Amino acid sequence: MAVTDRDKPVRVGVVKFASCDGCQLGFLDIGPALLDIGIKYQIIEFGEASSHRTPEGPFDILFVEGSISTAEQAQHIRHLRDRASLLVTIGACATSGGIQALRAWAGNDGGIAGFVDAVYATPAYVDTLERAQPVAELVEVDAELRGCPIDTGQLVELLTATAIGRRPQLPSEAVCVTCKRAGRVCVMVARGEPCLGPIIANGCGALCPGMARGCYGCFGPRESANGGSLADWYASSLGLSDESVAAKFAGFTAWAPELREVIDARGGPPGMRATEAVRSAGAVGLAGAVEPAEAAAAAGAAGLAGAAGAPGLAGVVNPEAARPEGGVA
Amino acid sequence: MIDLRTRAWLPREDLDRLISVLREDGRRVVGPRVADSAIVYDEIGTVADLPTGVTDQQEPGRYRISRDANGSAGRSFDYASSPVSWKTFTYPSSVAIARARRDGDELTYEDVGHDAPRMAYLGVRACDLAALAIHDDVLTGGPYIDEDYADRRGKAFIVAVDCAKPASTCFCASMGTGPEVSSGFDIALVELDDGYVARAGSDAGQQLLDRLELDAATSVQMHAAAGVGVAARAQMSEQPGVQTDGLRERLMSQIESDGWDEIAERCLACTNCTMACPTCFCTDVTQTTDLLGTVSESSRQWASCFTLDFARVAHGNFRPQVKDRYRQWLTHKFGTWVDQFGTFGCVGCGRCITWCPVGIDVRKSLVRIAPVKPPLARTQKPVPVSANPGHYSIGTIAELWAETKNVYTLRLKDLPEAVCCGTPGQFLMLDLPGYSAVPISISRYREGEIFLTIRTEGATTRALTSLRPGSQVGLRGPVGRGWPIEEAFGRDVVIVAGGIGLPPLRPLIDNILHSRGHFGRVRLFYGARSPKDLLFTEELKAWAARDDMTVGVTVDRAQVGTWGGAVGVVTHLFDREPIDGSHTTAYICGPEKMMSATANSLAGRGILPERIFLSMERHMQCGIGLCGHCQMGKNFVCKDGPVFSRRELGESLDVEGL
Repeated sequence: MAVTDRDKPVRVGVVKFASCDGCQLGFLDIGPALLDIGIKYQIIEFGEASSHRTPEGPFDILFVEGSISTAEQAQHIRHLRDRASLLVTIGACATSGGIQALRAWAGNDGGIAGFVDAVYATPAYVDTLERAQPVAELVEVDAELRGCPIDTGQLVELLTATAIGRRPQLPSEAVCVTCKRAGRVCVMVARGEPCLGPIIANGCGALCPGMARGCYGCFGPRESANGGSLADWYASSLGLSDESVAAKFAGFTAWAPELREVIDARGGPPGMRATEAVRSAGAVGLAGAVEPAEAAAAAGAAGLAGAAGAPGLAGVVNPEAARPEGGVA
Repeated sequence: MIDLRTRAWLPREDLDRLISVLREDGRRVVGPRVADSAIVYDEIGTVADLPTGVTDQQEPGRYRISRDANGSAGRSFDYASSPVSWKTFTYPSSVAIARARRDGDELTYEDVGHDAPRMAYLGVRACDLAALAIHDDVLTGGPYIDEDYADRRGKAFIVAVDCAKPASTCFCASMGTGPEVSSGFDIALVELDDGYVARAGSDAGQQLLDRLELDAATSVQMHAAAGVGVAARAQMSEQPGVQTDGLRERLMSQIESDGWDEIAERCLACTNCTMACPTCFCTDVTQTTDLLGTVSESSRQWASCFTLDFARVAHGNFRPQVKDRYRQWLTHKFGTWVDQFGTFGCVGCGRCITWCPVGIDVRKSLVRIAPVKPPLARTQKPVPVSANPGHYSIGTIAELWAETKNVYTLRLKDLPEAVCCGTPGQFLMLDLPGYSAVPISISRYREGEIFLTIRTEGATTRALTSLRPGSQVGLRGPVGRGWPIEEAFGRDVVIVAGGIGLPPLRPLIDNILHSRGHFGRVRLFYGARSPKDLLFTEELKAWAARDDMTVGVTVDRAQVGTWGGAVGVVTHLFDREPIDGSHTTAYICGPEKMMSATANSLAGRGILPERIFLSMERHMQCGIGLCGHCQMGKNFVCKDGPVFSRRELGESLDVEGL
């Protein structure tokens, strides 16, 4: 793998699609270590940081921020995929669709056209897809850095591990692990604060529980996420209504399947709730619009550190999210 | 016993002096204080930091603190337990363990010393002391030790305080670890309204108490202190606990229970139970490297068997499903921990219950997976019916058929209810006026009916088996002591029958199969003289066809070409069977020589003599231990038996002519 070739700098690109640029700032937040990164990595495309552009690559590693929201973006990500040896999605938008993926539930409320009409002064100029999709629904993704925004520590860990060809230590366990290791008192048990931490991947340092708030789920579902059981507890023990339960799950990573299931089961996000008739007809949620595809296995196998004989980045790839879909462009 | 010489009285206002002395000795004092809506353990400077007047309420998945409304507002230790255990300090969640440099081809390892501060822990409960003792064993019991833990433990001074207010989630009393502090402390306090009864548990503790120059506690104070533990124990006795008797065996026999799936539907695999647990000790070593790969640092961190990565190897995961992980945790705590370390891995602190985000209760899990008393077909104690000779009840033969050329089964109906409420292995005195009554064991219980299987040997049995349906018979019983089925709960079962010994065992088999989930492997080995002498042949086939029961049949002799099965003594059937003697209970019935040989053979396979049961035959006339006919050694077989353990029989089994 070129990435572990000590003689040659690794050509890195950072690009964005539908997103707020916050995750790209994660690179700049690295601080002084960024200078060390320069020894191993040559950043050849990073529009947020430099006007020296090489938009066509080719890239050894391409970091992709943002979800795919227009037909043009869908074409472009496919093009970039061909220009990159490894493609790493960064942030909640790229990995799970982000907050804008909530519009997928617009179908409960008159469809995307109604949204566009409500928001834009000149809707005629807006050309958008029905859904804002995670990148892995369109192209194969080699690794994910989750979060809204990503955690700079995880980014550095990915870069340092990749630099020497070891498997990055990116946790797949619950946020709870961080709280307990830090000796924090559980906000849900001790205060009745609904918290998504038990089903959300660790990585942020449990920022919100550390501020006595429940976890909002920025990092998306962890492995074995049992959203149904947590939702039942919200309702039965914390006394939340179905709508409130759905609201808790309908955040930055709402479109992730484990959260989406709960949101659908509880009638959809606030403001986009299915009518009782629609719900009982089983037409809720757009699960049907997404065809599960078989490319997941391939995505998991192509780990960054694969050349070094390590299990690669299988641990950070969410095979469930890898759903290439044909009919978008 | 209260020892007057070693109890001192520490007035409430003098607790500060105790804290001061500990701090003067260079110790950081950690104790309870209110933070983050909880009573947590943290550094304290004076008694003002303690949660005086604050108590906790704990339920599965719920914890709240409040100003104590119950009158003991002046107390400082009036809560049950903290969100995290003392392992936070003795076995911290992250400890640096190694640092290495790689300069070109050269490696350098730097020693990471262990130099923990001297600490004093104030307010340690009995459950947590038990947990520390477990950690001592696991982490420093050898041959390898955790150096960091040893360093921290060696420097710790422990001031224990008896628990006065167990939470609804507490079950230390049932685990035998509390609520009273008994060992593992330097000083133990029992809190009363106006102060503390103090005693030393170590030389260091005694020296410290001496420095405080306290008065001796009065007898009134000491009795009040003793009452604290009694009250806490009484409270816990009214809430669920854990039945530890035979728990290891019960649990380990339920590896395939459906209960695991049920629990996994709720379990989040979030790790909170293991992190909150004071005995969970599993850790990960994580490495960080710099960008150039020259410097790497390793640290030991709390890990959990609930994470996917915990059992991951290069090509997969040994415990991919949540139910696998929950089973790993529960069977370790209450099963394999016993094998590894000689105790349970649970001290009953209840933290895993309170701090489970969805309130999964380990006590309920154990009842679901490894229940103590299974609902059996018949659990009522039998009331003998007309036990006295001369007083007979009457039953009607509903049906009568031949099992072999000289063995018949009678199905009796129109019976007094108590006759049908006997236990497997009990017998009846069966009578037909004009003949002498005979003891006949019951070969099946049905609703309102019993089956009697009789070999025609003498005049009475010939007369009884010649009766027609509709005929009445006289009966007394059921009497005697039957098969103790409870001795096989959670264990493998081996049943060995010889000839007419199968009928008394059949109700036992019925009951085991009725409650099949409560037993491990079930195996029946049956020997008869010849193929024609085999009883219940259709039933044997049906049992053999089950996938949860093994049946082996042998005959002493068979004509060539008429028998495709085994030939030889019954013990040959299990000579090559894998029998785990330590987890097996055996029931044997047949000719005495066969039972003796079988019992010896099974004892040789590691089954304890108290777990081998035999049904003895003697001349039983009265059936109630009065006539003396059936004496065998120190026992009357009818009253004390007919079922005995091999141990109870002792040497009397192999003595001819006894």
